[in-house]
Amino acid sequence: MARNKFDVDEELEAPFQLSHLKRVLVYVKPYAWKMVIALIISAVTWCLSLLGTKIFQWTLDIAIPNKDIRMVLQLALLNIIATALILGLVVVRGRLMAHVSNYIICDIRRDLFAHLQKLPFAYYDSRPAGKILVRVINYVNSVSNILTNGIVNTIIELIGLVLIAIFMFMTNVRLSLVIVAGLPVFLFFVFLIKPMQRKAWQRCSNKSANYNAFLAESIDGVRVSQLFSRQEENKSIMERLSQACRHEWLRALYISHSVWFSSQFVTQTVFCFLYVTGVYWLSGSMVSFGVIMAMGDYVNRFWGPITNLANIYNDFVNNLAYLERIMETMDEPVDIDDAPDAVELPKITGELSFNHVTFGYEPGIHILEDFNLHVKPGESIALVGETGAGKTTVVNLISRFYDIESGSIDLYADDGSGVRPYGVSAVTLNSLRRQLGIMMQDSFIFSGTILDNIRYGRLDATEEEIVAAAKAVCAHDFISKMPNGYYTEVSERGGSLSQGQRQMISFARTLLSDPAILILDEATSSIDTKTERLLQQGIAKLLEGRTSFIIAHRLSTIKNCDQILVIGNKGILESGTHDELMERKGAYYQLSTAQK
Amino acid sequence: MFQLKWIFDTVDKKYKPWLYLGLALSFLTSLMMLINPKFSARLVDEVIVAQNPKPLIGILAMMFCAEQLRQSLRYFMAMSLEYASQSSLNHLRTYLYDKLQYLDADFFRHNRTGDIMTRMSPDLDMCRHFIAYLTYTTIDSITLFAATLFLFFSTNWKLTLCLLALLPALLLVTGFYSKRVGPKFIQARDKQANMNTAAQENISGNRVVKAFAREEYEKDRFEACNIEFRDINMDINRTWLRFYPVIEGVASFLGITTISLGAIFVILGEITAGEMTIFTGMSWALANPMRNLGTMINDLQRFGTSANKIMEIYYANSNIKDAEDAVDHEKMIGNIEFRNVGFSYDGHEIVKDLNFKLEPGKTLAIMGPTGCGKTTVINLLGRFLDAKEGAVYVDGCDVRKWKLEQLRRGIGCATQDVFLFSDTVEGNIAFGNTALTEEEVYDFARRAGADAFIRKLPEGYDTIIGERGVGLSGGQKQRIALARALAVRPAILVLDDTTSALDMETEFYIQQQLRELPFECAKIIIGQRISSVRDADEIIILEEGRITERGTHDELLRNRGYYYETYCLQQGITDAEGGEA
Repeated sequence: MARNKFDVDEELEAPFQLSHLKRVLVYVKPYAWKMVIALIISAVTWCLSLLGTKIFQWTLDIAIPNKDIRMVLQLALLNIIATALILGLVVVRGRLMAHVSNYIICDIRRDLFAHLQKLPFAYYDSRPAGKILVRVINYVNSVSNILTNGIVNTIIELIGLVLIAIFMFMTNVRLSLVIVAGLPVFLFFVFLIKPMQRKAWQRCSNKSANYNAFLAESIDGVRVSQLFSRQEENKSIMERLSQACRHEWLRALYISHSVWFSSQFVTQTVFCFLYVTGVYWLSGSMVSFGVIMAMGDYVNRFWGPITNLANIYNDFVNNLAYLERIMETMDEPVDIDDAPDAVELPKITGELSFNHVTFGYEPGIHILEDFNLHVKPGESIALVGETGAGKTTVVNLISRFYDIESGSIDLYADDGSGVRPYGVSAVTLNSLRRQLGIMMQDSFIFSGTILDNIRYGRLDATEEEIVAAAKAVCAHDFISKMPNGYYTEVSERGGSLSQGQRQMISFARTLLSDPAILILDEATSSIDTKTERLLQQGIAKLLEGRTSFIIAHRLSTIKNCDQILVIGNKGILESGTHDELMERKGAYYQLSTAQK
Repeated sequence: MFQLKWIFDTVDKKYKPWLYLGLALSFLTSLMMLINPKFSARLVDEVIVAQNPKPLIGILAMMFCAEQLRQSLRYFMAMSLEYASQSSLNHLRTYLYDKLQYLDADFFRHNRTGDIMTRMSPDLDMCRHFIAYLTYTTIDSITLFAATLFLFFSTNWKLTLCLLALLPALLLVTGFYSKRVGPKFIQARDKQANMNTAAQENISGNRVVKAFAREEYEKDRFEACNIEFRDINMDINRTWLRFYPVIEGVASFLGITTISLGAIFVILGEITAGEMTIFTGMSWALANPMRNLGTMINDLQRFGTSANKIMEIYYANSNIKDAEDAVDHEKMIGNIEFRNVGFSYDGHEIVKDLNFKLEPGKTLAIMGPTGCGKTTVINLLGRFLDAKEGAVYVDGCDVRKWKLEQLRRGIGCATQDVFLFSDTVEGNIAFGNTALTEEEVYDFARRAGADAFIRKLPEGYDTIIGERGVGLSGGQKQRIALARALAVRPAILVLDDTTSALDMETEFYIQQQLRELPFECAKIIIGQRISSVRDADEIIILEEGRITERGTHDELLRNRGYYYETYCLQQGITDAEGGEA
């Protein structure tokens, strides 16, 4: 049970690999054409803007010395046309890139969410919900920029860099060499800091995940905190978590800002050298005034892309930590998945068997050992026994919420040519679970109307069917009395509903799904006896012909079941009908008399 | 700009100097941008044009130093503002968190977890972004613009005036844009909150999703939110791209005008070539603030939207809080009295005319059909709800006159819906009383019948259990919750259907333990099983919010009402047999 809690940093299971980046590029691929167009546009824009520099140079070198106002105006007009062209192109590019980046975010998020749907209970059980949530929402938002603008801008800046270098060298080779000389120094700075930076941002993302996890849990559990007047204690935990976020954030920023500072330093130094060399040449009258002004402009144009590249790189490193988290989640093994050769489970008859099943949640600790059971169609099976004996485990295995260690669980189904057994792990999960109606101990209510919550059992159910299901479980009365009846909004976890009412709603939801096998795990534990009795009468007709598993502690509720299994000691202690078991005077008899 | 004052007030006093230092440095360093162009002009005029390399080194050294100094100050500025913004963020996080902890059930009914999470995470980040980034970009832009204007005017006022003619058009366009895009930012934020909620509920409810094999449906539902969020963002971008050409066009036009007019002015002899480099070299200092205007407005609008959402919590008022004249109670004794208590919600009567008393050492049991108001009684006692009629007295004092903390500390409650935290088992038991020693934790666990199974967990008491106790069975969760309630040694112990998921033997054991608690307390037991309530000193039957029967087990059996019926049903006896009970 190596679980994570709010104040434990999550260890990344794998260090960053280039293959992560490769996999991310899969998301870019569908939009590659759009990005290529954007790139071409950028290149054109680049050339056009270089024209601006040339015009500037011509104005200084030709127009002014010749005192040619006409030419000044002509050049200005040319410049205006170029600018208008640039603007138009930038708008087109902006649209393309907005499309690409928003679609990529949407795609990644979709896949991440879809993958989460496949992950087993164990994944959700082993970490706070808040830590999963930040990955789907916050982290995906963060990485989108590096995947879109990051990629495109890197290419653009690189192209720009090459182009400007060509222009520079064509204008003046020696001056250009001076400009380029600063590059190695700069790269040294950037790469020196990189590993530090990545680690720093990783720590940052850990701390913010901790903060979010604690926050989400606190909101959900606010009532308990209030009940126990835990607020001061919680506040100091929050202060600690928040301080940790602040600390790591500032640390990461010190490093990031240092990169930026050093890039500025190098730019300035180069600038100075340019002027010194330029002027010493100039005194030998080798370069014109215009050339040196243009070169000044080129310094900015050469170092601009480099600074931008450094920034993109910075951004990339910062977000790498998030990217790793997303990839890690996508890599999370799907323990319980359709077998490669899984078949659709045909309509089940309700007959099922457990053959020598052994199972444990933790390796080495078995809950069930060599468990055997055969259930005939339409039979009602009650599971009784001490809390923690494994009653819920038995029913969870039928739905294949967990995989067994050894043995097999078979459901009988009719594929048209006759009834034969299908192993639960040999059929698709969807076709299996769809035919089972499972009502769990924890009756989760989604935010939305009561109607929607019941409809969750069968999405195409009509309102009449929903009302009928509610009536069968005796929920109709209280629902009708609510302010908006079936259309009353309830909040997640039920908010204003009592526990018993929530159970009734999830019961109705389960019934509505019209399952061949019904599993009721403490379905009525919070419902009063009288209502429970009415409910049993209400559903008696619906249960006819369906196999049902009932877990209950109030033995009076299961008395009439066809088979009662007393679970304990990793298997079935005894089984039989109520009367048989009472006569045996064994475990069941003891349980039963204790209740009187 | 109410938001502005608000956000600055959230910066801690200790960090206020950093904020002001950062803002001052932003102003200063923007002004310093104007130093080098002056030197550049001298460089051109005195060195290049005059073909005299002598002053070169001196001028360059000055330029280099000035720029390095400026960059260093920028670094300090950025870090100062980071300090200030982190202080604000830290304050907001803890303050809002604390605020949330004291808000009443009503607030949480109207705000979904995902909504609150959005406020506490991306919205707060927007506030941080405001202080750490938006403040200085705004000051930079304004300072630079104003200073450049000053520089230009001092160099040549005619040329400057010509350049300025473009300004009003720009302001008009920008104003128009901000009106258009503002509502869209609000929408985008709401869409994000929706998406957040969809994901959060899916994660919390993953068991139900799997049980119904609703993965596809959930994907569709999330996808809808996902796409809406995407589309609104694209919409915002489109709006921006409609205005962008105008804003950018004006800014670029300014640059072109500067070169052309500058050239003409040089030809006409109005200015020197060196002076022209001031104009050409600094034309970006006029143009960039104009360019940034659009993005600045975007960010400001988003900040405003987020700040408003946060302020809703920041200034939220809980209906249930300490009265001003709340009485100090040192210790709760545990005398409870409900006097004509009534409560209604949305015009629906939940409970009415509740009258009962309970003394320390005694036990009161409440029974009744689902939804009859049993839990409401507990909510009224712990003041999670305030009575609309009558009053609830604890130790002779109206609960509304109790200090909330003292009142709730005196009540130990094991609720129906067991919420456990992702912490160790020990941490969960000591939740309400962290001062507990290990031995005491074991003792309370033992009394709650939990010790045996806890010791069988992989790491015993140090096992971390998942949120809401996932991974534990219902009965196990209930027993931990019971141990947690006992651990505070309350004067009033409330067991709200705490044993519903327990087998009879364990329940019996726990009942025995409850009779021998090491502290005296008044007990309120809510239950559905006769076995859990039969030994109470008084049993109250609540139906539709009113007390319909009351008395001891024997009295109620003789009464042949609801209690008797339930008794018969649970014992599986018919009316005829019932007579002998």
